[in-house]
Amino acid sequence: MDNPLHPFELHPFWHLSLFGLDISLNKAVLMMWLVIALVAVLLIAAASSRRLVPGKLQSLGEILVEFIRGIILDTIGKEGMRFFPFVATLFLFILFCNLIGLIPGSYTVTSQIVVTAAFALFVYSMSLVVGFLYHGVKFLGILIPPGTPGWLLPLMMPVELISQLARPLSLAVRLFANMTAGHTVLAVLFGMVLSLPLVIGWLPFAFSVAINGLEVIIAFIQAYIFTILTCVYLGDAINLHGHEEHAH
Amino acid sequence: MPQFDTQFFSSLLFWEVVSFGILLWVLYKFAFPAILETLEARERKIRESLEQAERHRVEAEQKLQQYQAKLSAASRDAEAVLVQAKERAQRLLEENELRVVAETERIKGEALRDIEQARRRAVQEIHSQTADLALLVAERVVGKSLDKADHRRLADEALQAIAEHQKT
Repeated sequence: MDNPLHPFELHPFWHLSLFGLDISLNKAVLMMWLVIALVAVLLIAAASSRRLVPGKLQSLGEILVEFIRGIILDTIGKEGMRFFPFVATLFLFILFCNLIGLIPGSYTVTSQIVVTAAFALFVYSMSLVVGFLYHGVKFLGILIPPGTPGWLLPLMMPVELISQLARPLSLAVRLFANMTAGHTVLAVLFGMVLSLPLVIGWLPFAFSVAINGLEVIIAFIQAYIFTILTCVYLGDAINLHGHEEHAH
Repeated sequence: MPQFDTQFFSSLLFWEVVSFGILLWVLYKFAFPAILETLEARERKIRESLEQAERHRVEAEQKLQQYQAKLSAASRDAEAVLVQAKERAQRLLEENELRVVAETERIKGEALRDIEQARRRAVQEIHSQTADLALLVAERVVGKSLDKADHRRLADEALQAIAEHQKT
């Protein structure tokens, strides 16, 4: 039986370097290009027909945009629309990486921890920068939940600090682990199909079909979770537990 | 795990940043403004259409009420006109009747007066003729022995006697 982690291996097929930095092309890089090409074509095509009664493509683009706009307005408020381009691009990039990775023979870019970690760290750093820009030093108050009695502060502040530090870590690991786990399960099932006799072999095959369907849903859900958590962190930074309507 | 192979980190990171940056720029420049604007335009249009429909509905309701009010006023007017006409007709009828009766009375009264006058004239004529006749007869009987004044006195006395006689 093959190593089930074999699908995650990368092999550089064109060596490139920039100022001594290795930027060799591999399958994952090609998939990123494919993803941005697909997303750009789809969204630009959707944007090019600006009819009041939309066609199919325009509807699809508008559904995606409306979906992200809804998330931003719900979690951050009107102010959050400033971050719409970033949040929407993030969602579309992750969603299409997840979905394209499901095509056999392709590669799931988001199953690379370095990719998800870069996104997570960037999102978290951005929320910190935004928080300090909006509130200055008062933003440190995010470590004190509203209504905490004074004598509890020495206990609460370390706890809150840990929860803050866990944010980028959990954000990165959640996406990476979900993508990796799904594909590993699929690889294991396919390995069993190939190594077992037909009499029992159909069973893991049936499972792999079902799991593949589940993976499509997970691809959506994980992109959604990554996006909504991005909005929640940005919302915390902008509203700083001031707005009850955005409390969670 | 192959994903922890640091050999690919630099190229993955580099291309992730570049790809994401390009995609963000392209979408920011060519896709998002148009789509967001279309969405907002549609929202605006729907809201306006709803408001307009509501306005039209209220207007129609007002018009209906106005027409109903007008209609009932008109029917009240018509009824009043009818009642007036009936009253007028009744009054005219009564007036006519009264006038006819009065006219009849007047004509009757005149006729009676005429008759009375005619009778009086006739009586007077008879008186004077009778006196003359009587005078004539007396002259024949008595012969021309009495003067005119005596004649007249005698005749009047005779007539008086006749009238007395007639009364009794």
